[in-house]
Amino acid sequence: MRPALRAELLKITTVRGQWLGAAIATLALPAVSLLVAATGGVGAGDTVTSGAATGSIAGLLAFGIWAATVAAGEYAQQTMIVSLMTVPRRSVLYGAKLAAIGMMAAGGALVSAVTAWLVVWAVLPTGAHHTGEPFALVSVVLAIVAVSVLGMAVGLLSKSPAASASIVVVAVLLPKAAAGLLGGLERWVVGASPGTVITQAVGGAQLPHSQMFPGGAAAAALTMLLVATAVALGGAVTLLRRDG
Amino acid sequence: MTPGERAAAAIVVEDATKVIDGVTVLDGVSFSALPGRVTAFVGPNGAGKTTTLRAILGIDHLTSGRATVGGRPFAEHRQPVRVAGALLTPDAAHPRRTARGHLSVVAASNDLPGSSVDAALELVGIAGIAALPVGQMSLGMRQRLALGTALIGDPAVLILDEPHNGLDAGAIRWLRVVLRALADGGRTVLLSTHLMAEIEAFCDEVVVIDQGRIAMAGPLGHFIGGASMEERYLDMVEGG
Repeated sequence: MRPALRAELLKITTVRGQWLGAAIATLALPAVSLLVAATGGVGAGDTVTSGAATGSIAGLLAFGIWAATVAAGEYAQQTMIVSLMTVPRRSVLYGAKLAAIGMMAAGGALVSAVTAWLVVWAVLPTGAHHTGEPFALVSVVLAIVAVSVLGMAVGLLSKSPAASASIVVVAVLLPKAAAGLLGGLERWVVGASPGTVITQAVGGAQLPHSQMFPGGAAAAALTMLLVATAVALGGAVTLLRRDG
Repeated sequence: MTPGERAAAAIVVEDATKVIDGVTVLDGVSFSALPGRVTAFVGPNGAGKTTTLRAILGIDHLTSGRATVGGRPFAEHRQPVRVAGALLTPDAAHPRRTARGHLSVVAASNDLPGSSVDAALELVGIAGIAALPVGQMSLGMRQRLALGTALIGDPAVLILDEPHNGLDAGAIRWLRVVLRALADGGRTVLLSTHLMAEIEAFCDEVVVIDQGRIAMAGPLGHFIGGASMEERYLDMVEGG
């Protein structure tokens, strides 16, 4: 497994567009949070931590789209043929891809979250906001990893960078946008969606009671991770069974 | 790979059948390719050559039957590129990755030393353009890179699907010499090509596939008799 993982990481670092995509994704969250904080968008009830998380949707989208396009690009560029010839055991290939994307997303998300917190703390007026609970930003890391894993799986399933990127955008934005249509499912679907998981964990922002996941932020995060795992398993089964 | 392991390595396809969307593209295909021999795998376009080669490599799944390399399915080998190297298309390298980067990925995936990348680049004659993105390479150069990908693990078995595409006359002769030398060194070479003159020039065995079925398999000399490869082949697949 380790050589395959090394190869997957090398694939990303040897194509400029791919490592640049990861770098841009890493900057997306702190950049948006900085913009919000610098323009007075952090509310009186917000903490430095919740202020730092205001750019989390940008981070989720950027990492998810990056993962989806990297994975689907294997098919779009026909490089999957060489991948399957050199690592023909598909479970190992899939595991290596999952680990590579997950590791890069986790590392990037951690840097994103810490940078965003420091930037927002530096920009906000001294003493105007409580620091909040910085450890809650772990939810940002978890949500970004979940969306990246989902993006990777969808990328391999669809084989199309454009289609998989669109699916990621829908998966991140649609639950909240369609909240009114969900009826009794709203607290389950919106509550466990990545953006809302972060909001529940960091607090501060106003979240309608109907969108609070039953059982709290930890249960919401666990459900989000279970959904990402289920999609990842679907991707694995498809890769194991399909031709090419 | 030791000489003993190399001798044991061979390609065996047994009763391979592949049905895609209700269409039988391979119908009970059976043949083998032996160590020390260059086996030409020929047939008209759409006869099932590439599907067979992809099935041998585990890229496509067979509906029934079995294909093995070195006595077991290709995917079951721990370091597959040391067992079999394959060229299926010259366009399987990312256009924005350099030739060196591409081979580095292949080497890393099978825990090969970094020196194997330089050796492969030298062997296929593209060391001078190793830093060039694949997308900026000519078809011939990409074909050489694909050959380098196949040869990087010094494998006992080579599976090549139309490796002559895009090669100039000098490169075709170079490939002939290289493949003959590899077979003489005990390796198994399975080669799909439409170049009948090349088959006559250096192949030992011929397997003819037509409409998903093996039409003939045996030594080249027996196949062509006193005629030319082209005549005998066209007689077989076009009925005269």
